[in-house]
Amino acid sequence: MSDSEDSVVLIVEDEPDVAETYRLWLDQDYEVSVAEDGDEGLSRLDERVDVVLLDRMMPGLSGDEVLEAIRDRDLDCRVAMVTAVEPDFDILEMGFDAYLSKPVKSDHLLRTVDNLLERSAYDALLQDYYALVEKRATLESTKSRAELANSDRYDRLCDEIESIRDDLADTLGGVEDDDDFVATIRGLTDDS
Amino acid sequence: MYDLSDVLDVAALEAVQPGTSILVSGPAMSGTEPLVRDVLASGASDGEGAVFLTTGGTAADVLDDLRSRAPEVDPSRLCAIDCRGNGDGAEEASDGALRHHVGDPSDLTGLGIGVTKSFDRLDLAGIDRGRLGLASLSTMLTYTDRQTVFKFCHVLTARIDAADFVGAFTIDESAHDEQTLQVVKQPFDGLIEIRERDGDREARVLGVQPDPSPWVDL
Repeated sequence: MSDSEDSVVLIVEDEPDVAETYRLWLDQDYEVSVAEDGDEGLSRLDERVDVVLLDRMMPGLSGDEVLEAIRDRDLDCRVAMVTAVEPDFDILEMGFDAYLSKPVKSDHLLRTVDNLLERSAYDALLQDYYALVEKRATLESTKSRAELANSDRYDRLCDEIESIRDDLADTLGGVEDDDDFVATIRGLTDDS
Repeated sequence: MYDLSDVLDVAALEAVQPGTSILVSGPAMSGTEPLVRDVLASGASDGEGAVFLTTGGTAADVLDDLRSRAPEVDPSRLCAIDCRGNGDGAEEASDGALRHHVGDPSDLTGLGIGVTKSFDRLDLAGIDRGRLGLASLSTMLTYTDRQTVFKFCHVLTARIDAADFVGAFTIDESAHDEQTLQVVKQPFDGLIEIRERDGDREARVLGVQPDPSPWVDL
């Protein structure tokens, strides 16, 4: 991601050594913030945070409770659950965007964060795409064919729509992956 | 390539590119949904997978209907997703077909999970060709705003494209204004229009080839 240096990752993890390890791995590419428990995580969370790495088992608020609070606050951030055991349930149905099982390896962590940021980029593109399509539909339903044929504005709009459609097909491989597909759809209903 | 011309005898439908999604548009009760069911049944008879999302009916009725249209078909390649459940998810019918239930048509995540389960099951069975039908977008538009339905269609047709399946979705054109129809058409590669003339139904295909097809009897 070209703008990844601006992206903010929040680590919510009660084991200081583990949190520090994640921070070191992520520090070069992202702005990183660390919270020791769920309460501190929620207080550090604002609209600048793009990705949350959330330990599932913590004293105090559990990861599930923190997730619920995040979703209640209507924040756009993506949440990866970090868990000691491979979950035997569908984490997507629970509302998490991804999961990492401990011990987490650096390449897996970086890949997961990168993927979650790409999902956010996809959502933003999809929003821009929709806005352009609405604009074109307004022109098409208010102008005659002849007027449209002579309109530079209409031509430009059509070109922009084609170009953004191509960008969407390139992002996330066009939601080729099942997890990306379901998480993207869940993002649609969160927004509305 | 997919040959859909046995359902609608139009040259443009003889060799449809994998990944193509088509919107089937017509007035209420003009036969859009039966057309899509025929498209799925025809593919299933040739060994393809069939995944149908119904916003009004039950998965069990859809499966019965598909089997009556394609009596020889192996039911294990049929998947139906309905909006009549209480969130109980997927179950296998006694004949091996997949049924998935979501609470109502606004549960887009549930519908997406149903599609994922259906695709995974076909994939596991080694079926790499298939058709996905959805009826209808008009019902979805009564539960969910236009913006969200547009995005849902974009993401779902992208998933169909990635799987190299073909998609056919219905809309009741008399239920929406021009602006809504223009927006909802955008995610689709082609359009089948149905009209009624003097009591007869006719259809034509737009967008799959550069020029519209002639009107043919349905």
